[in-house]
Amino acid sequence: MQIAEIKSGGVTVAAFEGRLDTATAAAAEARLLALLEEGGVVADLEAVRYVSSAGLRVLLKAAKQAKTAGRGFSVCGLQPAVREVFEISGFDKIIPAYATRAEALAV
Amino acid sequence: MAQSTDLALRLRPEAEAVPELLDRLEAFAEGADLPAGVAHRLALVAEELVANVAMHATGASFVEIRLSLEGGQLYLGIIDDGPAFDPLEGTEPDTEATLEEREIGGLGIHFVRRMVRALDYRREGGRNCLTAVLDAG
Repeated sequence: MQIAEIKSGGVTVAAFEGRLDTATAAAAEARLLALLEEGGVVADLEAVRYVSSAGLRVLLKAAKQAKTAGRGFSVCGLQPAVREVFEISGFDKIIPAYATRAEALAV
Repeated sequence: MAQSTDLALRLRPEAEAVPELLDRLEAFAEGADLPAGVAHRLALVAEELVANVAMHATGASFVEIRLSLEGGQLYLGIIDDGPAFDPLEGTEPDTEATLEEREIGGLGIHFVRRMVRALDYRREGGRNCLTAVLDAG
């Protein structure tokens, strides 16, 4: 799992690459929560081919923290398999998901 | 052909074993020419069940994964020697809850239930034996 950070105005795009799973969740969570201390975050998952429940918990924690802090948090670029996991978990109803990074940043 | 449709793997019951599990399942899926969606579901079900052992079966010294492809179905066995624990007894998460109400947890077994055709838990010879059947097509 790699996370590239791209600043765009007051928002950070965290571009994930690899798997978001039991083994990588702790590092991803630490990074996302730290970025949310600074401002809004878009988690770009276009290069993520696999997300398990451990990965979803990270996104849920980030969304909750963002809400509490009054900051924006969204995801973009979900691959079909990742989208399926989002829908089965009901996360598509509680975390804003955009097709592209540009759309997520335009909000 | 037989080599690409059978997998047996024994891992330490801990989160650090997950990358090896997923690597081996990806190689299996490629060898068996599984569609991408099926490969993802298989990996997810296996990871959730192994993570469950890592979290709950404290005292387990191993977790074993057995996988075979027969007649268009994947048979996944997860065996560990920890204390008796039936992951199917847990409660379902509320997938209609709002962000504020939504609880962190309980999702893994929810995925497993939604993605398998059949699921069975048995305690056998001091071991937890879970069998999941998934459609391969």
